[in-house]
Amino acid sequence: MEKNTILKIENLHVNINDREILKGLNLEIKPGEIHALMGTNGAGKSTLVKTLSAHYDCIVTDGKITYKNKDLLELDVSQRANEGIFMSFQSPIEVAGVNNSYFLKTAMNAKRTYTGLPEIDAMEFLKLVKEETGKFNIDRKLLQRDLNDGFSGGEKKRNELIQLLMLQPDLIMLDEIDSGLDVDAIKTVANVINSMLDGKRSILMITHYDRLLELIKPDFVHILNDGKIVKTGDYSLALELDEKGYEAIGIKDANK
Amino acid sequence: MQINNIDGLILPNKKDEEFLKINFDSLFSYDFTKTETYEFDIVGLETINDKEKYESVLFDITRSLDNQQKLITINKNIAEPIFLIHKLKENETVYTNSLKIKIAKDIKATIVEVFVNSCTNSFYGVNRKIELEENASLEYVKIQDINASNSMIFTTAIEQQNSSNLEISNFEYGNGFVVNSFENIINAQNTNYELNALVKLFGDSTTSNLVKTIHNEKSSVSNINYKHSLKDSSKAVFKAKSIVNETALYSKAFQHCNTILLSDDATIIAQPHLEIYIDELEASHGTTTGTLNKEQLLYLQSRGISKNESYEMLLSAFENKIVDNIKDELIKEFIKNYKRDTYV
Repeated sequence: MEKNTILKIENLHVNINDREILKGLNLEIKPGEIHALMGTNGAGKSTLVKTLSAHYDCIVTDGKITYKNKDLLELDVSQRANEGIFMSFQSPIEVAGVNNSYFLKTAMNAKRTYTGLPEIDAMEFLKLVKEETGKFNIDRKLLQRDLNDGFSGGEKKRNELIQLLMLQPDLIMLDEIDSGLDVDAIKTVANVINSMLDGKRSILMITHYDRLLELIKPDFVHILNDGKIVKTGDYSLALELDEKGYEAIGIKDANK
Repeated sequence: MQINNIDGLILPNKKDEEFLKINFDSLFSYDFTKTETYEFDIVGLETINDKEKYESVLFDITRSLDNQQKLITINKNIAEPIFLIHKLKENETVYTNSLKIKIAKDIKATIVEVFVNSCTNSFYGVNRKIELEENASLEYVKIQDINASNSMIFTTAIEQQNSSNLEISNFEYGNGFVVNSFENIINAQNTNYELNALVKLFGDSTTSNLVKTIHNEKSSVSNINYKHSLKDSSKAVFKAKSIVNETALYSKAFQHCNTILLSDDATIIAQPHLEIYIDELEASHGTTTGTLNKEQLLYLQSRGISKNESYEMLLSAFENKIVDNIKDELIKEFIKNYKRDTYV
């Protein structure tokens, strides 16, 4: 693995419920790069990001994933998160009875302990939350409620952004974070993500919506079809796709 | 001294539907070395003879050893809760304790009882009679933390007058052999009766809860709500029977029992049962059994929280629903901060 590669996926085969979804996928992401993953429904986009975050549904049958020179498949869900992998859920899970603020502070301290830093106390935590959310005008009242419990779709996505800001991951995976959001909310998402781009942090985002790609310009656009990346290009590939559709660029939509 | 050998005492028959699945054999046949009445450290309590008729035969175990009952009458509002701490220290001993709690008309009170032990092979027989006069209100909280090799039978009979309110929160933390019995025959109108419980078991513990509620009068509410979280090879029995008779129009009778099994060897036997003789009422009963939600576990872990800690967070969320029902904030804090080590 090259020294300046954060993630390298080689010949990845993944099954869900005994059905092969990823069929030999290769992908390499370097620090600071933004990769967009596009493809028809069922192509395997979500399976890829779920596999990277060790979702229990995804069974890796073959292949290798190297992350920061470590064998990613040897790490469990929380270890991967503490190593800096963050997956923004397409539908964040509601957890009644777990206070959002307590959850986030616990998550931050888990990462700090993992990386050998001292834990932060409630005062420091509140100060940090105030600073970070204040920059983007995100409502902190969400933190007083139970984790995603009774949140609207937009509130759930904003809560994912708060977590993102506080946990400061190295590889951010966004699984359709724009779905169900209005134009202003998409701008907030883009502002948060763009503010985090420091030349080292990398992004892998799944989107169907070119508005988000306009706001967060990808370095690479990959088209996934039938469990493999079949085409890679730059931002112009996303524009071409938007204009002509999958079939015109030679991708067969299995749903039709 | 064996409980089996007490003259004239009729013991629960294991073929009886109420006691099916509860094995009293080893308790009743155990040869204890002595019998002792556990005395409260409150001076000046009145003593009366307990001549009540109870539904459950379990009351007679304690009464057959000592038929004297202490009486606490609360006839003025007290801002602070009353704490009664029971610490059993002697090995191989049968302890008994009987108390009548009487709350006078229009009075509000809060009582907390904690049962802990530092002994082995002892048994605690506890009888409670709770009487609420018209418009009286009692928040009664109990922590049972009787540990392995010890046993406890805790029986409660309730009598409520019109418009009275009784909220019981029952926390079962010990890993001994424990049987609780609650009976409330509602012969008054507009009463409210809530029985919330968290049964948190581990090791080889067995805790059974037998709850009987009979509605005989109009417009009263009973709400029985149990949560069990069961580890290791622990076993819980929950049997609730609520009867709404023809005279009890517009009653509300609810029973809910939720269980999380945290091991393949843990067991729950849950039987909510409603017997209804009228149409003009609101009633529901239900029981759920399962494990922790794996999607929720994954979500917490995906933010870096270890599997064990995520598990504990979800479990606390489940258990705290019972703590959150407590109205008195002081008591809520007391329960959240409760540690056995403080007492033994």
